[in-house]
Amino acid sequence: MESPFILQMQGIVKTFPGVIALNNVNLDVKRGTIHSICGENGAGKSTLMKVISGVYPHGSYSGDMIVNGQKVAFKNIKESENAGIVIIHQELTMIPELSITENIFMGNEIVKHGLIDWNEARRRTSELLKLVGLTDSPDTLIKYLGVGKQQLVEIAKALSKNVSLLILDEPTSALNEDDSANLLKLMLDLKSKGITCIMISHKLNEVAAVSDAITVIRDGETIENYEVEAGHVDENRIIKAMVGRSIENRYPTHESKIGEVVFEVSDWQVEDPRVPGRMLCKNSSFTVRAGEIVGFAGLMGAGRTELMRSIFGRSMGIYQGGTIKLRGKEVKLDTVQKAISNGVAYVPEDRKVLGLNLLDSIKKTIVSANLDAIKTKKLLDFNKEYAAATHYRQSIGIKAASVNAGVTSLSGGNQQKVVLGKWLFTEPDVLILDEPTRGIDIGAKYEIYKLIHELADQGKAVILVSSELPELLGMSDRIYTIFEGTITGEIDAKEANQEKLMKMMTVTAS
Amino acid sequence: MKYIKKVLGGELRQYTMVIALAALIIIFNIISEGRMLTSSNFQNLLSGNAYVLILALGMLMVIVIGQIDLSVGSVAGFSGMVMAIVARDFNLPWWVAVLIAIAIGLLAGAWQGFFLAKLNIPGFITTLGGMMIFRGGVIWISSSISVPAPSELKWFGAGYLPEWGPSFTGMNNSTLLLGIIGIVIFAIKQIQNYKHSGDITGQKDSISVPIIRILIVGAVIGYFTWLFGSGRPGTSFPVPGLILLVLVIIYHTLTQRTSFGRHVYAVGGNKSAASLSGVNVKKVYFLTMMNMSMLATIAGILFVGRSTSAGPADGTSWEMDAIASVFIGGAAVSGGVGTIMQTMVGGMVMAVLNNGLMLMGVGADKTQVIKGFVLLAAVAFDVYSKGSRNESIVGKIFGKKN
Amino acid sequence: MKNKVMSIVLATAMMATVAMTGCGSNERAQQAAATKEAAPVAEESAATEEATTEDAAEASVASDAAGFEKGATIGISLPWLGTQNWKEAEVMFKEQLEAEGYNVIVQAADQKVPQQQQQIESMIENGAKVIVVGPVDGSQLGSVLEQAKASGTYVIGYDRLIENTTGVDGVVQFGSVKTGELQAQALLEGLTKEKGEGPWNIELFGGGPADPNAPNFFTGAMSVLQPKIDDGTIVVVSGQTDFAQCATVDWDNSKAQSRMDSLLSGFYADKEIHGVLSPNDGIARAIITSCENAGQPIPVVSGLDAENESVEWVWAGRQYSTVAKPTDALVSKTVEIINSLQAGNGMPATDVLTNNGKIDVAIYELPPVVVTKENAKEAFANDPGRLELLK
Repeated sequence: MESPFILQMQGIVKTFPGVIALNNVNLDVKRGTIHSICGENGAGKSTLMKVISGVYPHGSYSGDMIVNGQKVAFKNIKESENAGIVIIHQELTMIPELSITENIFMGNEIVKHGLIDWNEARRRTSELLKLVGLTDSPDTLIKYLGVGKQQLVEIAKALSKNVSLLILDEPTSALNEDDSANLLKLMLDLKSKGITCIMISHKLNEVAAVSDAITVIRDGETIENYEVEAGHVDENRIIKAMVGRSIENRYPTHESKIGEVVFEVSDWQVEDPRVPGRMLCKNSSFTVRAGEIVGFAGLMGAGRTELMRSIFGRSMGIYQGGTIKLRGKEVKLDTVQKAISNGVAYVPEDRKVLGLNLLDSIKKTIVSANLDAIKTKKLLDFNKEYAAATHYRQSIGIKAASVNAGVTSLSGGNQQKVVLGKWLFTEPDVLILDEPTRGIDIGAKYEIYKLIHELADQGKAVILVSSELPELLGMSDRIYTIFEGTITGEIDAKEANQEKLMKMMTVTAS
Repeated sequence: MKYIKKVLGGELRQYTMVIALAALIIIFNIISEGRMLTSSNFQNLLSGNAYVLILALGMLMVIVIGQIDLSVGSVAGFSGMVMAIVARDFNLPWWVAVLIAIAIGLLAGAWQGFFLAKLNIPGFITTLGGMMIFRGGVIWISSSISVPAPSELKWFGAGYLPEWGPSFTGMNNSTLLLGIIGIVIFAIKQIQNYKHSGDITGQKDSISVPIIRILIVGAVIGYFTWLFGSGRPGTSFPVPGLILLVLVIIYHTLTQRTSFGRHVYAVGGNKSAASLSGVNVKKVYFLTMMNMSMLATIAGILFVGRSTSAGPADGTSWEMDAIASVFIGGAAVSGGVGTIMQTMVGGMVMAVLNNGLMLMGVGADKTQVIKGFVLLAAVAFDVYSKGSRNESIVGKIFGKKN
Repeated sequence: MKNKVMSIVLATAMMATVAMTGCGSNERAQQAAATKEAAPVAEESAATEEATTEDAAEASVASDAAGFEKGATIGISLPWLGTQNWKEAEVMFKEQLEAEGYNVIVQAADQKVPQQQQQIESMIENGAKVIVVGPVDGSQLGSVLEQAKASGTYVIGYDRLIENTTGVDGVVQFGSVKTGELQAQALLEGLTKEKGEGPWNIELFGGGPADPNAPNFFTGAMSVLQPKIDDGTIVVVSGQTDFAQCATVDWDNSKAQSRMDSLLSGFYADKEIHGVLSPNDGIARAIITSCENAGQPIPVVSGLDAENESVEWVWAGRQYSTVAKPTDALVSKTVEIINSLQAGNGMPATDVLTNNGKIDVAIYELPPVVVTKENAKEAFANDPGRLELLK
């Protein structure tokens, strides 16, 4: 007798000291479906996945887990893999200096007479790569593959383990639109081969496109668990369940008060430091006015970040020409220090890697880009530091017990607010925001959007770089599109829509 | 519990090592029947370890930026030897020789800083090279024979503060003055902090907190003033100890109260984020390495002063003692974590352990083994208490009463 | 789980500490009893000594002969225990001084100057009446030993000269120049006996430059060899005849071996090497090994210290000679001086004085003994341990 469910979880409770992470979670996943799990950051999705995959061993949680009708008690990842359950984490775990073959069979080597049989491994690898639609040689080193392809190799690795239930944690968060579409197609393909997929995703359009069933988790509890028809999914119902309230409009309304041109970049040229002769930015020119929010749209790798970082004190690429004018006066911002002292601030795209010192407290982070402002007689004054940090904690609503708390203890949204606070403390005229809402849940996004509007209302010139077109359309006054390092168009946000932008982002300017 | 926390001013965890140090001193004093806490023993302890502690000051900063300096011992030996040789062969006054040595230290540091900052060669390799170069250099220029040092330097390496003023105090008056200055400065700081404590929260701390602090710290400083000041006539708080004390104050301020200090921690915590916050990472690397070699030179000079001559093997494996002090003090191998004060406590733990075991007549072999265990235990404890949300052992003991 | 692991780690560390210190603390108990009574005497003599430290020569030879009681603490500070002679010294000092009723602290400094400085300080702290110092580096103990003097402690140098300080009362050692002469004579004798007619090809090795004896050995040896080099009886093929060229840093055998390797490959590709002047046994064995590896017949090699392994090699005919500096003689002489001090007779008289850079130091010289295969049995007649090796 075979159960129609590949995985059932009944009454799962998992606690950490002082916190109930999962409270009576139920989940039923039917064989041969794509099952999406939605929830805000911190809702308990990742904890649930760690329970399924045996990262949290049996006994550290209560409740039953049933795989193919049989109760199971995984003690470690190996046991869950033996049962055909493989999880692909958000952070890719491939080793860059090893080849595809070596990565796929890492920890699972094909051994003949005590030695690794590389020929067999290579043969099986090329079969697996074909399955996931890759044509690269099995000997290619991982570091030469893009993120999208690496994700596919991860899936190939899972397939090598005879997977029957594949769990993908935010699989497209680092992928561009093409690669994302590709991945979703592959999931449908796997489904047709009888492999069940569980997908955790923030991107509701993707969830809507492929899911057969949806489970929404909020605050460690199952809110909804229902079957849907792929392509005909009510996104608002999901949002409502996730946040516990209906967000009529995901973007706050805002009346722009646009003033004079504050920031003007002309003929900006940047060369790739790794490939001589290749330009990261070509003849880029744009302007930003006081109180204006200017969006920059482009596919991943189009040169958006490169352009912004080279403007911000030439911190990326080799400067090859171009001028910057601040309020009509030409300035030379050849170091980050000069950019900051001239009132330019850059909030980087990856806050953990580029924005924060994770060892620091909130207060130390907030003052870190403008230490001169907290000095008394040339020495740092801790009272001023505390006062400054407390001011920003209140004004931008950082949720933390005190400004002495470490930034690691904060959620993604609050971390991003700390980074924003750090840059606001430099009192910038021009604020460049690179993907300010990546990896942040919907509620926190809304607060950040409101904050951006406030800043614009204070007369700051705001540049907003984002991969999410709805965000750009919802937030910007004007949008530039970039393709291969060149600004390919400029459009008033009121006249723009996703199709128009996409067209401008992919056309080569001749 | 809360009150104790307030008096200590922060996490109890950071006092674990201080308590361990105090316990070590007391235990050794009991086992050795009072020979630990004597004037002469503490004078020796300080002048015999000042050079390692001075190295540890610089090493802390190097480790905080996420690097390591293996060359400090060789640089100390080399610059000390140069000093002894120029003083002997060119008949230069001692202070010219000292200045030449410090210049050599700065040059050596600039050399290593150049490779690290400009050429991006990891500090481990840069200074491994430096270790060989300067060790070879010292053997080369000395032909492996010890060179007597200017006799004035003995005052720096093993000297005592002058005796003056009335004798009714019953102790060395320089030491007494030093102790009084220390207590007064601490008291003033506490009162200032107290005055400002209500500035932001609007609610002043209880006045008893600073008073208890002043009493405790005053008693400790007072005791050590007496200990150092009441030794054999002609002895006092040792000069190398005073040099160390001045350097500790300078470097504590530098790391905690200046932009450069913040930048050092920022670079160690996240180099890319620091650079995007306007920190000149290369400059921080360069200056930190240069500073390390300069401190190594000062340590070398003190040691030569104490040894009365510069030897070809001076400085061998000193880097290891300095590194151990920094890690016992709670610094992280990955950088970004650690303070001057904790490092000094770490260094003192090593020194007291060494001294106490020697007083007990335990051989160098066993002492070494014990020090190894202590290093591991201290770091393991630190990693453990940082990794878990639990309180430290101290916290657990006091936590019961909460 | 984590808790458990941690407590095991901590417990192990603590137990190790307790176990290792436990053995020391027993001794301490006895010792403490002795030093308590001694304390007032120490303070008195500290005051008187201080006045005289300036006048160094007076302080060193004509010490005021106060004496001290039997059972006082005697500190023995040795450079390390890595070679047989030092290990023997450690054992003999302990046995002989304890037999006399003294309380003995023996510590070894692992060849590190700062460690030795600290050990000597802790001996002063423990109220030692006499400190016997076999220095790691004879010139780097200046301020520590002066401190010892200032606190009324006698300082006796052991086996090596103590330089650059006023803080030393006398040095017991084998005549080091004499030792070098004996090594060179043994080398010449061996060459005549084993390598036929001259001229002979030889190489020279010196000891560790930080050891003040090493240049003396070399000087002694060269006083015998130089005339033979000048008249062409022997040839130093490499031409390296300065002490700085021949010295072996830290007496490190491996450094000597690599120098020999390069000498052989550089100068002896088409020549036979007949003899090598070696300053001690460890270096001698390194030289012989190097020659064997290079395919050379074993040359005549001198040595020093009569280490067990070299005694076997001498007996087997691989190493031509060694020089025994019987540790027991050195230790007995030192104990004799300590007894004289104890009795209040001051430092015994001696006619040999050497300037150590600051003062003239009284030297108590003992004659060393050359050992070859022929006289080995007689030489070790009183040494059952080594006699055992001659089979």
